Amino acid sequence: MKMGIPISDAKLGMWLFLGTEIMFFTAFIGAYIVYRIGSPGWPSPADTHIQVFWGGLNTFVLIVSSFCVVKAHAAMSDKQFQAAQKWLLRTMILAVVFLGIKGYEYAGKFSHDILPGHIPETPMQAIAKADRELEVVVRERLAVYSAEGGVISVPEVKDLATVVPQLQAFQQGGAAAEGVTATAELRTAAAADIELYQRWKNLNEHMIANVSLKSVASAQVGSYRTAREALATGEKLPALTLDEVDEYLTELQGNESYGAAVTAGVFKPHPVLYGNLFASLYFLMTGFHAIHVLVGMILFAMAMNQGSRLNEGWTAWVENSGLYWHFVDLVWIFLFPLLYIVA
Amino acid sequence: MSHDDHENHHVNYLAVFFVLCGFTALSVVFDVMHFENHAVTIVLVMAVAVAKALCVMMFFMHLKFEGNWKFVVLAPVTILAIGLPLALMPDIAIAYYTPTTPQHGDWGEEMAEYREAHAEHGDHAGHDDAADHSDVEHDAAAHEKTEHTP
Repeated sequence: MKMGIPISDAKLGMWLFLGTEIMFFTAFIGAYIVYRIGSPGWPSPADTHIQVFWGGLNTFVLIVSSFCVVKAHAAMSDKQFQAAQKWLLRTMILAVVFLGIKGYEYAGKFSHDILPGHIPETPMQAIAKADRELEVVVRERLAVYSAEGGVISVPEVKDLATVVPQLQAFQQGGAAAEGVTATAELRTAAAADIELYQRWKNLNEHMIANVSLKSVASAQVGSYRTAREALATGEKLPALTLDEVDEYLTELQGNESYGAAVTAGVFKPHPVLYGNLFASLYFLMTGFHAIHVLVGMILFAMAMNQGSRLNEGWTAWVENSGLYWHFVDLVWIFLFPLLYIVA
Repeated sequence: MSHDDHENHHVNYLAVFFVLCGFTALSVVFDVMHFENHAVTIVLVMAVAVAKALCVMMFFMHLKFEGNWKFVVLAPVTILAIGLPLALMPDIAIAYYTPTTPQHGDWGEEMAEYREAHAEHGDHAGHDDAADHSDVEHDAAAHEKTEHTP
């Protein structure tokens, strides 16, 4: 009487593992499906910088690699071990190509700051984020002056309000700290950075009060008070809009001294509703998939490492690695339409 | 140790490969065709995905030639794969109660205004999903666009 099922323990083990892997990805893909349906106003591919071309190319790459893996296994069964090595090498190269394309896509996301928790979801959040980023730029620029052996002797740039008057005094001809040669270039640079600070402070105070940059030019409390007194009952000062802030930032980016720092440190403010939900799900799904690709590559590498020593004993290894690799391909077959087409 | 005797079945892997390529091209074509009813695109594209998955599973993974044990592994897993999203649908996807998240309330209105003002932003198409959440009446918060103080 023949007992048990007609496959090896190793193969059964791999299939059981694949069953658990299906459950693993069901969690993420199911979460994505459910959240996607329940979020009217989900970001468009223009907002999320998702291009069908790269996704389609990756799909093609994985299908070819699945074909290569199946040929490798067929070669192992036919005892053509060197041919199998060649097919494994092709699979490996395609896996690297897949990860390369994924890396390129991720780089695109990072350069637009499309990361979970980083995406503003309303115009006001976008303005606040731009303000925070500009403040960081200002702090970095001013920290240069107050570092050890710097121009002015302030231990830390904790409070910009204490740094700036000292810097102004220096810029207007005051003495530098001990051991620093105060050149004209240094004073001009200080002048530019003081201006950056003032432009940031202007934006910051307009943001806190939510008053349009155009209606009240200066950030002084006095001018708000005067402007408000001039209003009739029930009137309000016009609110700050995202377009104004965008223009303001573009102007700052054009400056010759600090423009580059502003461009590097401040992302163009762009609110995306459900953007953070999208980013979390996107990176979860594609990230875990990429990790699985890496694991598959390790499995193949161990067989390839045998070189000319590859023999029949490795047939089961190649077959089961192939099963794992086909599963990785299957996941991507579902990820591609869900992320790139249905979006 | 039992050995699998599936080597007798000769599968034309190249043919399966071309079929898979064809299906991939087909799903891209469906995307480019851009049906007015987005649900049509979704159904067609997911059907293609299922067809591709079947090709890979039956031929590349050789399940067509394996015994009934495959159902023992796949059936519970498939039940879970379909059951889990179904179970979560009423609460998260369809939300039969009034959702009070910021995205549905104030933010949703603010973003709708923002989108109208920036309508030149390319392929937006303002995806109106089946369930209309745009005029959800929510009791709480005042809608006065008062000054935002942090």
